[in-house]
Amino acid sequence: MPFSLTELSFPVLIFLGIYCFFLLFYVVYSLFTAIHLIKYGVVGFPMYLILVVYIGGTILLIAASIFLLLRYDWTYSVPLDFITSLFDNSLFQKAGIGSL
Amino acid sequence: MMNLHHLPNQRKNEHIVLFLRRQWFTLLRIVIAFLILTIIPIILAIYFWETLSIWLEDPFLGPAIIVAGSIYFLCTWLFAFVEFADYYLDIWIVTTERIINIEQKGLFERTASELDLVSVQDATAEIKGFLETIFDFGDVLIETAGEQQRFHFQSVDDPEKIKETVMRLTLEAKERLNAHGNRHPIIPTEIKTPSV
Repeated sequence: MPFSLTELSFPVLIFLGIYCFFLLFYVVYSLFTAIHLIKYGVVGFPMYLILVVYIGGTILLIAASIFLLLRYDWTYSVPLDFITSLFDNSLFQKAGIGSL
Repeated sequence: MMNLHHLPNQRKNEHIVLFLRRQWFTLLRIVIAFLILTIIPIILAIYFWETLSIWLEDPFLGPAIIVAGSIYFLCTWLFAFVEFADYYLDIWIVTTERIINIEQKGLFERTASELDLVSVQDATAEIKGFLETIFDFGDVLIETAGEQQRFHFQSVDDPEKIKETVMRLTLEAKERLNAHGNRHPIIPTEIKTPSV
């Protein structure tokens, strides 16, 4: 069977992989900063407050993104010719922006 | 953890006179930068909502936009936290005996140094700029005799008053030293510790 570039597909799951990889970096960097604050910071209410606010904000952001990401079918694979078609005007015309 | 009631190598009868951080305006800059970075994409998303909602329905573009957006907002949140940590960990403590300078430079370098007050030769207060003049904050430079190293209190509240306090404490420390017999002044020591 002859090789055809257009028959290749791009699994959407790759985005989830990128996101998980970023989350790992985020957790490590956050922990590192939090350890710094705890180890070298002056003991007091502001330090604990900022840690609680940061952890709370992080939980909210991650929960919101997971909630939004759950809507999608992650088994879906996009044919490469579809991706190349995104670079023409059709997407913008579909969205009502007009040709760019 | 640093406890202000138990300073590292605390001397007998030594107590804290000034505990300094950069002025609140520094913190305000971080908050403003964070708000701008957060609000602009939200405004753009609302303005282009018609287009965005169509893209979000797409099985390829939708996940890509959500993942990119999540990474962006988490990065912004992390940036604010790291900047706050940098602000919070930079401190200057003036006691009746010495000046302690603790500076966090990024996440991987931390400088802790101390200077005996009897070594202080001169202190300079600098207020430069419009905002600094309005809100009365600026830098204080502490210079030692025969030493090139200077302690630099950056963007601190009321630098004039701090300078006067440092010079008064220096005078008192020198008088105490003369009263208890002469000894060699302790030169400033600097310890660079790799972080965690």
